[in-house]
Amino acid sequence: MREIYLSGYSNFIIPFMIGMIFVLSWCIIGAIRVIMELSAEDRKKFFLSLLNPKIMAKNIKDWFCDCLFHVKLWKRNKLLGYMHSSIAFGWFMIIVIGHIEVFLYTPERIHQVWYPIFFRYFVAVTENTMKGSFFFFLMDFFLLVILSGIILAITKRIRSRLFGMRRTTRPSLTDTIGLYALWSIFPLRLLAEGFTADISGGSFLTKSLNDVLHFFFSDQMNMLPTWWAYSMALCVFMCVLPFSRYMHIPAEILLIPMRNAGIPIRHSRKGISRLQVYSCPSCGVCIDACPMSAVKANTRDTTVYLNRQIKRYNERRIEEISDKCLLCGKCTAVCPVGVQGDRLRIAQRSIRKYNISQDYSNIDTNSLKNQLNNFVTTENDFVSDIHNQKVLYFAGCMTSLTPTIMKSMTSLLKKAGVNYGIMDKDGGICCGRPMLMAGRIDQAMELVAKNTEIIKESGADILLLSCPICYKIFKEKYALEGIEILHHTEYIDRLIKEGRLKVRKSEKSYVYHDPCELGRGCGIYDQPRNVVSSAGELVEAEKNGKESICCGGSLGSLTLSFDKRKALTENALKNLTIASPDEVITACPLCRSTFNRYSQTPVRDIAELIDSNTEIN
Amino acid sequence: MKEIVVIIGGGIAGLEAASQLLKLGYSPIIIEKEDHLGGKVANWHKLFPDMTPAKDIVDELIASSKDSNIFLNTEISFINRLQDSYNIKLSNGISIMTKYILCTTGFRLFEAEKKEEYGYGIYNQVITNGDLEHWFNTGKDERIENSSMQAIGFVHCVGSRDEKARNSQCSKVCCITAIKQAIELKEKFPDAQIYCFYMDLRLFGKKFEDFYIKAQKDYGIHFIRGRVSEVSENIEGKVIVKAEDTLAGKPIKVTLDLLVLMSGMVCNPDTHKMAGMMALQVDSDGFLKSHDNVFHITSSTKKGIFYAGACTGPKTVPETLAEARSAVLDIHSQIISGQ
Repeated sequence: MREIYLSGYSNFIIPFMIGMIFVLSWCIIGAIRVIMELSAEDRKKFFLSLLNPKIMAKNIKDWFCDCLFHVKLWKRNKLLGYMHSSIAFGWFMIIVIGHIEVFLYTPERIHQVWYPIFFRYFVAVTENTMKGSFFFFLMDFFLLVILSGIILAITKRIRSRLFGMRRTTRPSLTDTIGLYALWSIFPLRLLAEGFTADISGGSFLTKSLNDVLHFFFSDQMNMLPTWWAYSMALCVFMCVLPFSRYMHIPAEILLIPMRNAGIPIRHSRKGISRLQVYSCPSCGVCIDACPMSAVKANTRDTTVYLNRQIKRYNERRIEEISDKCLLCGKCTAVCPVGVQGDRLRIAQRSIRKYNISQDYSNIDTNSLKNQLNNFVTTENDFVSDIHNQKVLYFAGCMTSLTPTIMKSMTSLLKKAGVNYGIMDKDGGICCGRPMLMAGRIDQAMELVAKNTEIIKESGADILLLSCPICYKIFKEKYALEGIEILHHTEYIDRLIKEGRLKVRKSEKSYVYHDPCELGRGCGIYDQPRNVVSSAGELVEAEKNGKESICCGGSLGSLTLSFDKRKALTENALKNLTIASPDEVITACPLCRSTFNRYSQTPVRDIAELIDSNTEIN
Repeated sequence: MKEIVVIIGGGIAGLEAASQLLKLGYSPIIIEKEDHLGGKVANWHKLFPDMTPAKDIVDELIASSKDSNIFLNTEISFINRLQDSYNIKLSNGISIMTKYILCTTGFRLFEAEKKEEYGYGIYNQVITNGDLEHWFNTGKDERIENSSMQAIGFVHCVGSRDEKARNSQCSKVCCITAIKQAIELKEKFPDAQIYCFYMDLRLFGKKFEDFYIKAQKDYGIHFIRGRVSEVSENIEGKVIVKAEDTLAGKPIKVTLDLLVLMSGMVCNPDTHKMAGMMALQVDSDGFLKSHDNVFHITSSTKKGIFYAGACTGPKTVPETLAEARSAVLDIHSQIISGQ
């Protein structure tokens, strides 16, 4: 390789350099800002995580898998996965190989940042070109990969249904500019390199293009304008990047180590919240996932639009979107970059000012503690509790409103010979989760403290819950050392495995609905399925497990009225009953009463099902 | 030839309309799906506010309409609309051609088991207003017989004015019915304490307010303003009711021997089936939609189809009877003008 220009400089690099300097300084300042906004404790945790080899290895793996290969998208949709990874990984490889070429052929130019980008303009082939042909081939190969991705991207814009996406995001103005700039970068690069391929050398793509071009253009006058255009396209893209969805490319690089360090959202806008908002690629996966999208008008209240409104400081819309959400967490579960839509909304709710604040300090816990002195032991000849554990059952308000579940559960405890006591038989204190969902964290923690006091006093070994809404807060916010916290699906599963409950298998088929708070909220998917399988044939819903659809009754939404929830419930039921089961089984009192309002198929709680299928020992 | 008028539903509205049509010289045909006439009122014991026996009213209506054509245990298979008349095919194979149809399909009591928190169908000592009238009539109900009856509760507005139960309308008659039933129970069990849990008392009719004062003064019935939050059962099988006394601002808890749920009036599902056959409009509350709600309550938007009674919304017995007469007059004037 031989250099053509002694200076190694041409005026067309100016737009590129402007864009490059702008975007780099923007990102560095942004990253420092985000890190400074973290609380001192979180910041320390973040820096320490970077020294931990295990976390660092995960960071590197995630950078490759998420940023470059888009593994999560591949799993979801092969075409979309290919489209994103071809552009991201192809571009990355072109930059890497470009640097290798400079390093090999013109090592003295390595400090000139533009040199690898416009390498082909500055050099000419020599006799020993064959040594570089391997890199020439790689460069052309990856350019072809990117171009195939761009063609898919254009097709997707025109017909998103071909990609299995029912609905896609409406791009904002800056998104559109960025999009067109991105689309034009690589065709322009191909054209520019095509014009110079006879001088600088090229491979199957650029060289052939050069041959074709020579049919039409005899001189090389066209060379400079195409390099200018290529540089301009890069400039436009980089200048518009901070204001468009493409900001997710740099933001995600920082989000990955922060996520792996386990930094929680603590502030509505600052720190990790800001980073998550800017990491949103506006891909629109959350639109189809959102249970509210069953009604078309609600698609504008999905997480992708929340992120956009937060970027625009549109407080009215932020409040509207945050309050409407059911907090089912499905957008968080499917998000390819890990934006926590539900937690982000709770953080927005937590900055709300209320005129009246509840004061729970005068609640008397002594009278509630006194109720707990006697645990009931059921004498049972067939089964005996080898561990002799004391089980404290907290039904919660939702279970009290569905007394059948409570009745079935106590009946099961008796059948299994469990030594149990009921914590809120005569009224108890709220678990605090509804307050937490409303963003009123201080009030919620006051309730948590009251309940903790009662539970610790009771001397129980196991705290048993029927309501997943309670279960989640007990698992996450209560410090109950030495007490095992179990949802009744887990406990029934254990009782069956230990042989303390003998379940009769019926001929009926059952579909199991994963309640949001139990499945996505606490990761309990297998135990309820084991239990249902023991009582009959288990069939699955169209979307289940992590992708289960919220029943529509969630406490999470502060503004959705009953009539507006009907369509959501009907949509969830349609998904559940796809295999025409005889019954719908759920494990949440709220899901059960919501479904019962509209379901044609009978809906029961898992405890009712097992109670009716268990012989009295 | 005598003009035929088909009356769908042989409750009190249908019977009263038939007797009036007979007087005017028309030939009414009553189609009733049950094996008896008189509809829901036939299952009731006494009517407020004069404690008139329901049986007397029903018997009188049956007697005065006995000359009409009556099909019991009969349902409508389909209705075909012709140019200016209707062809109705019945489940017993008969088909009728008529220009005039009067819908008196009435209502249904809200299924109290849907309000699970009140424990109907779960706890033994929880019954509905319908069950209680059945006991007044027959004297047979194990739940009442086997109990000491020292404390009895009434829950107002069960499944009415309740968005969660999908019925936001007021069922209108349950406030006064609860007072009537409370008085009747107090007469049977003079030692019992009776509590009524209400959110509002809507005592709009003649003598209703007097009746309410009487219940408090003469019968010592307790009225507690506040909705019941939940119902549970104790070991002895008694029901424990938790509510809030919103006037005192305190939560209360009472142990009861019997809890009566005042199920509200909701639209009869068979009415929806029939409305589908004739393409009649159904209102947002689930009841049939009148031409308008002031001037033409008994007319539908379709020519030749009229409404009377609780098929257009909750109504008292006198209101239903008045509507039946009014609908007959509408039919009569249309027949005359058509000739």
